[in-house]
Amino acid sequence: MTRYTIADDVAWVSEQDLDPGDEPTAYVTKVPGGPPILLEGSGCLVWLAVADGGTLEEITVAAAGMTDAEPEEIRDDVATLVDQLVIIGFVHEE
Amino acid sequence: MSQEREGRAAPIAARVHLAHAVVQKLADDRDADLLHLKGPAVLPGLRAAGRHSSDVDVLVRPGHLSRLVAGLESVGWEQRTGFATGSVFAHAANWWHDDWGWVDVHVSWPGITLEPDQAFEVLARGSVLHPIAHRPCPVPGRTAQRLILVLHAARSGGTADVGLAWSDAEPGEQDHVRKLAAELGAEVALAAGIGELELHRDDPTYALWHYFIHGGSRLDEWRARMAAAPTARAKVGLVTAAMRVNRDHLRMEMGRPPTRREVRARQVIRLRRAAAELSQRMRGS
Repeated sequence: MTRYTIADDVAWVSEQDLDPGDEPTAYVTKVPGGPPILLEGSGCLVWLAVADGGTLEEITVAAAGMTDAEPEEIRDDVATLVDQLVIIGFVHEE
Repeated sequence: MSQEREGRAAPIAARVHLAHAVVQKLADDRDADLLHLKGPAVLPGLRAAGRHSSDVDVLVRPGHLSRLVAGLESVGWEQRTGFATGSVFAHAANWWHDDWGWVDVHVSWPGITLEPDQAFEVLARGSVLHPIAHRPCPVPGRTAQRLILVLHAARSGGTADVGLAWSDAEPGEQDHVRKLAAELGAEVALAAGIGELELHRDDPTYALWHYFIHGGSRLDEWRARMAAAPTARAKVGLVTAAMRVNRDHLRMEMGRPPTRREVRARQVIRLRRAAAELSQRMRGS
């Protein structure tokens, strides 16, 4: 089963580390080359779920747990975002 | 379901966190020893909630400075001020990056008089790894952080960090800070930060710290700096620097390198200002 984790060369900071805002927000970058990208709202929640590591199903369930959504409602969107994050090298799959 | 976009407009606090991590990676890649200071490098309990830095401050082992600079410039940081022009203490220079903002690279910390190499060794002795942007960054230990924050407050003429760093510390912890200050030759600066400067009236640096805490004219500042300069050579260097227009600051002010004519024009203004201050003082005396 494929597991996903944040890549070793990534730095990130979320609103939880700064001043909590209205909307979940994370700023993510590869070190040292950058540039920073912004993940807002549900994108940030998926990122926070990936930060704990896990299979796609575990990440989906964790992300759903941070909202009122059911896992099946967001499963496809989570898979798409995680795929994108793997392609740009922010998330490592093994 | 997600919105992703370039983070050039990232808020300063986020940018500073990420920039600390970037600088650490550059240092790791080149075996350059660093200590991260202030802002997100401050250990929990020593910084008021919601208080953020606008730039990255790092202290580099002086012998590793060129490695760090090579790293910074390899990813696009541009040097904007040099060590001779960055501050009164000639202790830091700064670099600008369009994504990451300012990095102040320190080879020593204002108020510490021990040789920079030895001072770094002392400060690094109790360092700990502290996560910044979820990456481990070496920061001074709690006692050294208290001292650094108080010295910075003294240098800045402010008291914002003194409460948590000093006043709220247990007496035993304050003793540790005093011992560390003695080891680093920072007793006068510590005294300035905690309201005990008058105990050091006979120290050559007394006037300088008095100026930082209470303010004064530019002449007061220069007189204090002359008094604090430890050798005749240092005094000559100070006078030379005083007479020279700071090209780095002029460049930042103008947003481009100044021409020779502009530097000369600014020189005239400086001399006139100094003369005016002197005249006022003579009339007042």
